[in-house]
Amino acid sequence: MEAQVATKPKVKKEHSINHAFASHFAKSMFISVLGLAILTFIGTRMFTHVDLNLYGYMVGTIVFLGGFFYRFIAWGERPPTKVFIKKGLKLLFRKTTPQTTVEHLATYRFIWNRGVYRWTQHLLIGWGCVLACLVTFPLVFGWMYFTMPENGYYTIVAMGISLITIPADGFIAYLSYNALNISAIMVIAGVTMALYRRLKNMQARAEQKFMYDFMPLYLLLFVSITGLALTFINMFLHGWGHSVMSLIHQYSVIITLIYLPFGKLAHIPFRPMSVLARNYREHYGEQSMKPCKVCGEEFVSTEQSQDVLSVLATNEIEFKKEDFHLAELCLPCRRKYRIAQFSGFPTHEVKVKEANQNAKG
Amino acid sequence: MKKRLYLELENCIGCRSCLAACTQCGGHDERNRNYVYDVNPLVNRQTMPLMCLHCVNPACARSCPAQAIQIHETGAVLSALVEKCIGCQNCTIACPYGIPKFDTEQNLMYKCDLCIDRTKDGIPPMCASVCPSNTLQWLTDEEIEAKQKQFNLDNGKWVASMHLESETNVKVNLPGILQGVTKLF
Repeated sequence: MEAQVATKPKVKKEHSINHAFASHFAKSMFISVLGLAILTFIGTRMFTHVDLNLYGYMVGTIVFLGGFFYRFIAWGERPPTKVFIKKGLKLLFRKTTPQTTVEHLATYRFIWNRGVYRWTQHLLIGWGCVLACLVTFPLVFGWMYFTMPENGYYTIVAMGISLITIPADGFIAYLSYNALNISAIMVIAGVTMALYRRLKNMQARAEQKFMYDFMPLYLLLFVSITGLALTFINMFLHGWGHSVMSLIHQYSVIITLIYLPFGKLAHIPFRPMSVLARNYREHYGEQSMKPCKVCGEEFVSTEQSQDVLSVLATNEIEFKKEDFHLAELCLPCRRKYRIAQFSGFPTHEVKVKEANQNAKG
Repeated sequence: MKKRLYLELENCIGCRSCLAACTQCGGHDERNRNYVYDVNPLVNRQTMPLMCLHCVNPACARSCPAQAIQIHETGAVLSALVEKCIGCQNCTIACPYGIPKFDTEQNLMYKCDLCIDRTKDGIPPMCASVCPSNTLQWLTDEEIEAKQKQFNLDNGKWVASMHLESETNVKVNLPGILQGVTKLF
């Protein structure tokens, strides 16, 4: 019986697509590059409209993908991360997911609650970068390009489909030419605010390190300024030094891209995890809550409690007492239990609310 | 000279200066991250502080899916990195002492970081620098060893160390009063 159960999934696994690849990394990389190639094939009308001026960005993006998958897969293999990714993905389609996603990834509501100044700087940098990416990558891979079939009119081609024909001196055309300038100004404003905060805020000053906190900001600033310089060169210097500046800009973007998964900027690709975590907490909270062994208050979902215990077990950490487990206590009771351990008097069993823990006199 | 936070629990008079001082540490955002408990609230006035003990192998950091809880080179287990914390609250569930606090609005965990802006330069943390009763002290390992000799038991252990879950960077001593030792200040 047992042998049968053991062999059954094995047979199924032999035909799994995973066996075609040496590793997760290889599989992710293959699928991404293949996907990019197919999209580019469609977008550029069978490679007839590739902007080879941007080919450096293409190579940069593929190197970035390598770094990204390396970092993300290593991160996802950590026991607690694995739990959240695995269970979170199963719970992706909840009623509250759209709202949580918008609040966590688009409007940054939680940062607003940390401070309006920080929210403003984050919104400027975040959406400036998103806007820049939305323009840059479609141009690099030819998913979007402009043609001028008739003098004075541009046709925007998206994924090989002629989308819209606009007058070359019209408003939409103006926005298209200046999208990267707008995003650069947003990023410069945001980065300047962030740098100012890092010079003034005491906690930031205490904890920040040049390489971790400042360098990503300087990189973004460098990218934005060299990008704006291109526009400046075109408009005021008649294109003098444009080729040099465009190479400097290209290098700065590629270095930022390649660095992105490894430093502070890695929080961008990792942030969607917070939506998974919220869904996980909401779902299992509705399923069943765990009551405290002492006071009976429900303080965490049974599932999460179990998951944390198993994660700690893989790290060979276990908080077992003679007749119970510390994870069975709610947080205030856990603290009082510790006091009880020190003093010998069972503080946690006295039914009194914890008094004056807020230092408010 | 490396110094550690050292707690002599019996000295606590419940003034909560440490809580007030904690709120004033740069970046603590005027919220305290430590606790003071009445030992037997309906009977007597004995209180004891409870701080993060900065475990050598911290369960909070081990259970963090986002690697948001970093361990400083001084051994201090830092508060969650604001850009990394995803608000799953694993750390609050994992901590055997129930120390990490969670702000639902900000979707952010915060805990004692041993005032890292001060202690990384050898300045005592806010709580220890204000404690009027020497409950919280900032001592070198030699000074702590001397204290340990003063209060040691026959089995070569500290009384308090037996009640901790694992090795910690903060050292705790159990009340001399409860051991029947009269303390001379």
